[in-house]
Amino acid sequence: MFKLGHEKIPVCHGITRRSFLEAGTAGMAGLTLQNMLALEAQGAVQPAKSEIRNCITIFLVGSPGHLDTWDMKPEAPAEIRGKFKPIDTNVPGIQICEHFPLMARMMDKVALIRSLHHKTGATHENGQRWMMTGHDFNPDSMKPHCGSVLSRVFGSRGMLPASMVLPAKIGNTGAGPLHGQSAAYLGSAHEPFFLNSDPARSDFKVSDLTPPVGQSDFRISARRNILKQLDEVQRQSESNTALGRDTAYARAFNLLTSPEAKQAFDLAQEPAKLRDRYGRNTLGQSCLMARRLIERGCRHVTVNHFETVFNISCWDMHADGGGLNNTYADYEQLLCPQFDWAFTALIEDLQQRGLLDDTVVCVLSEMGRTPNLNPRGGRDHHPSAWTNFMAGGPIRGGQAIGSTDKTGARPQNNPIEPPQILASIYHAMGIDLETTMMPGPGSRPIRLVEAEPIDQLFS
Amino acid sequence: MDQRFEGTPKAEIRQEGQKLIRGEVTNDWGSQLIWNVLRNGESVARVSARANDSLDFADKTPGKYEAVLQMFQYEGYEKDKDGKYTKSKFVDVSNKLNWMV
Repeated sequence: MFKLGHEKIPVCHGITRRSFLEAGTAGMAGLTLQNMLALEAQGAVQPAKSEIRNCITIFLVGSPGHLDTWDMKPEAPAEIRGKFKPIDTNVPGIQICEHFPLMARMMDKVALIRSLHHKTGATHENGQRWMMTGHDFNPDSMKPHCGSVLSRVFGSRGMLPASMVLPAKIGNTGAGPLHGQSAAYLGSAHEPFFLNSDPARSDFKVSDLTPPVGQSDFRISARRNILKQLDEVQRQSESNTALGRDTAYARAFNLLTSPEAKQAFDLAQEPAKLRDRYGRNTLGQSCLMARRLIERGCRHVTVNHFETVFNISCWDMHADGGGLNNTYADYEQLLCPQFDWAFTALIEDLQQRGLLDDTVVCVLSEMGRTPNLNPRGGRDHHPSAWTNFMAGGPIRGGQAIGSTDKTGARPQNNPIEPPQILASIYHAMGIDLETTMMPGPGSRPIRLVEAEPIDQLFS
Repeated sequence: MDQRFEGTPKAEIRQEGQKLIRGEVTNDWGSQLIWNVLRNGESVARVSARANDSLDFADKTPGKYEAVLQMFQYEGYEKDKDGKYTKSKFVDVSNKLNWMV
């Protein structure tokens, strides 16, 4: 016996004949809920527990330059300090970039971590793997996304999946397909649900909530009855343990037909003024949707601020004159204002609804950017130092943990590595890392992440 | 999934003495919001308007003044060789105020 989430259960299951059958019969349902059909059929652990917290992670794909945002060095030479100026925050001694004026007013709620670094290569994917999973890995040893781990530990509540990714999963960021956004060995039951649609658009809809063309509610019901009969056959040949976990069909159909699930995605139900406050853009409306999903039972929502770094305005500020031509102009006119507006709206909204104490909000990225401006006035990849931050839940705001040297090149004190961030998230969610295990490859019980939480976040 | 901005942001601005005051922005894209103050048709102040809903504008240089609230409209990341956006631009989102000094 060991502890999964808050429940002691026997060491565990791998892929069963039943889960194999599920994939086959799901196809008969004519559904497009590929991730959802198997959700929780394997290993869903526990219903809602009042002490369990929620988590919203905003992932800044491309990586903001720490020297241009949350770790400014105004005393450094011009080619290092860059174009922007620091401003005071409501916490004495902590300054941030002038283009985050609203965040500056709520720094007492935010814990900056200014000494993050990793020692693997300077690719986006390396950073994504570290920050999404707490591990680096290769295709032979995939590690699960944070949301998948939380799904495995806590299970889901209500109609919604335990872990969702908005508006879409990370795609091409230059160096391969391993972004750390899969359930890996935890299995398809714990895959995050990818929205794959922009909630800021007037034609927004969740494709997986729309029955396939030609399938009326009547036909869906008929197929549900067929599946029930198939279930009955299986029920006679499989163990009660397996049957106890047989929730995939029900959840898939519920998500497809439940007004409650559909409403969770319906931002039109929010007041126009609130939608404006988040910002009528992809990030803002995704953050608003994240709050709605958390409110309705989703445990963990990842909001990817961009799904690629190519041919768009994003944080990847190389200023290369081509497909990676992001510059200070993008930061000043689009990215920083959008982030400042959306992030502060989310914190305010959660607080006003009494959800902030139960919701950990993380702002993560893959790495930092080079201390020296490149010849074109941009900054390139720099995993040796960067700043991320956390708020909400039990996080003690109003502090800057760790620091970098005078040029922002390397941590100067209290160096922090990515696994410590993941350990801190799990700890903040109410998980005891010493006693809570999950089934690793081959069902061997393993720790969620090989690191300890950052004490200072909680003291 | 590049961003597509829909609708049109709108705000009302007014003047009280040397203070320019804005109302809330509806259909707010969340991008940079600025006061643009022109004298004799030339921009003399471009000041961030996000954090505060008013701007003290005390310039007494003689001339014909105009003030308007503008927001950055993202239409694409492309820039020319001087780093200026070729598609994206600031657009007026408010009424205009005019006065003489």
